[in-house]
Amino acid sequence: MNSIEIKNVSYQYQPNKPVLQEINLTIKKGEWVTILGHNGSGKSTLSKLIIGLLKPKTGEINVNGIPLTQETVYDIRQKVGIVFQNPDNQFVGVTVRDDIAFGLENLQIPREEMIERIETYARKVNVLEYLNKEPHALSGGQKQRVAIAGILAMHTDIIIFDEATSMLDPKGRNMVLETMKQLRHEGKTIITITHTMNEALLSDRIVVLKDGRILKEGSSQTILKDKTTLEKSNLEMLLPLKVLYDLEQENYTNKRIKDLLWELSLNV
Amino acid sequence: MGIKFKRVEFKYQGFDEKGYLALSNINLTIKPQGEFITLIGETGSGKTTLVQHMNALLTPTSGEMDILGAIINQETIRKKSVKLNPIRQKVGLVFQFPEYQLFEETVEKDIIFGPKNYGVSETEAIQRAKELIKVVGLNESYLSRSPFNLSGGEKKRVSIAGILAMNPDILILDEPTSGLDPMGRDELLKVFFDIHQRLGKTVIIITHDMNTVFHYAKRVLVMRDSYLVYDGDPMNLFTKKNIEHWNLDIPDILKLTYQIEERLDVTFPTRPRNKEALLEMLKELEA
Repeated sequence: MNSIEIKNVSYQYQPNKPVLQEINLTIKKGEWVTILGHNGSGKSTLSKLIIGLLKPKTGEINVNGIPLTQETVYDIRQKVGIVFQNPDNQFVGVTVRDDIAFGLENLQIPREEMIERIETYARKVNVLEYLNKEPHALSGGQKQRVAIAGILAMHTDIIIFDEATSMLDPKGRNMVLETMKQLRHEGKTIITITHTMNEALLSDRIVVLKDGRILKEGSSQTILKDKTTLEKSNLEMLLPLKVLYDLEQENYTNKRIKDLLWELSLNV
Repeated sequence: MGIKFKRVEFKYQGFDEKGYLALSNINLTIKPQGEFITLIGETGSGKTTLVQHMNALLTPTSGEMDILGAIINQETIRKKSVKLNPIRQKVGLVFQFPEYQLFEETVEKDIIFGPKNYGVSETEAIQRAKELIKVVGLNESYLSRSPFNLSGGEKKRVSIAGILAMNPDILILDEPTSGLDPMGRDELLKVFFDIHQRLGKTVIIITHDMNTVFHYAKRVLVMRDSYLVYDGDPMNLFTKKNIEHWNLDIPDILKLTYQIEERLDVTFPTRPRNKEALLEMLKELEA
């Protein structure tokens, strides 16, 4: 089954300045896809289209087989959660518990079940001990995990991470990456939007956007060594591969080191 | 001269009596010219509070600051015996989200706002704007545009040009590259390094990117739980100190070096500071 089907979608904020053009993309249930691209490539616009915050100018989007329309958008938002870049911009509750409850209140979940879900998902992403704290007292990584708990509690099966780690310190980033891996393990469909290669490497498939179009698409392992595509789209190759390519330029022959560099690039 | 912290402590007053200690016993001297410093440490360790003392946005709860000869402590601030405007002009601080601070109709108006406030003539300020928009990697056509239609990276550049237009001696940037793509990040870092090298200014950058620290900084400061726990050379920090204890990462170049050493069971004589140095070491290995 397909989680998301994007068919021939275009979008523009201003006339004659298309931000996305003729995007075609299908994401299967349980798949982890990375949307990679430079600043202004249209990545975040794409994520806003998928959750129905923006409406495509042309083309259509299906979520779990249901066409995204004005009538279905509220049902679909219960299936798709999004974690934004700035951990400070997504809190509504006075305490962490209130914040996770917010989405559930909107769904009119009975109180008993709500309490149970909050505890279950807070435990899952390891924020149980902060339930009674004010969100602003948490670190960036903790805030992002609270945001994830809020989404999971709504039983969404698709989660979009829109540069969700780019403002975190190394510890916070690792916390969130670990949580993403765990979600994959549980069969969630994951879309990460990023310009960091080692984050993209965790996913099954990479879609490279450039100037509003899909420049290239392929398995993570293929894209990560595709020097031309990465250079064209302002992205950075992983260090072991950069070293490997530089050595090859100079006709370096030590196969053992070359093989090792390739292997290390897959385990960053 | 320069910026001196003398036994500086800073406490945020909360709702409870205790408050929250953000800086503890900070002693630190920063030269007014020629330094390129990175400031690192986990979220909440006190980095932003520390730099907000450097241009007297905050006053130490106890201890004192000497900012280019001006003494900032509870008493001088209470008695208003110290002029803050010249400090703010000489020590330029770019906040973490400079894009939130743009407010004028055009980019040019935004850039000249600061210098005009400090008594620079409009003609002179516009001249500066024309030069500085190029320094931050944009072209003159941007000057007539509205700041609100720019991308995040472009907005950052405009706000940095606005601070540079005040011609500060010391430039402080709070996470200036977070959220930028790799190319945008490298371009901007080159701008800062250029400002430091060509104009001889002291530049201080807060970052979470250990590669930036390792590649550019001559001096690195590490904050941990309100204390300044390290002040020195980046190589020494990443090779000799227990950085995991401070929740810091190892720069990619060192990580790769360690992995190669472990897998090939070799020990390189030195630690590479950049990719070129590592390449040389690998070529040695082949020979």
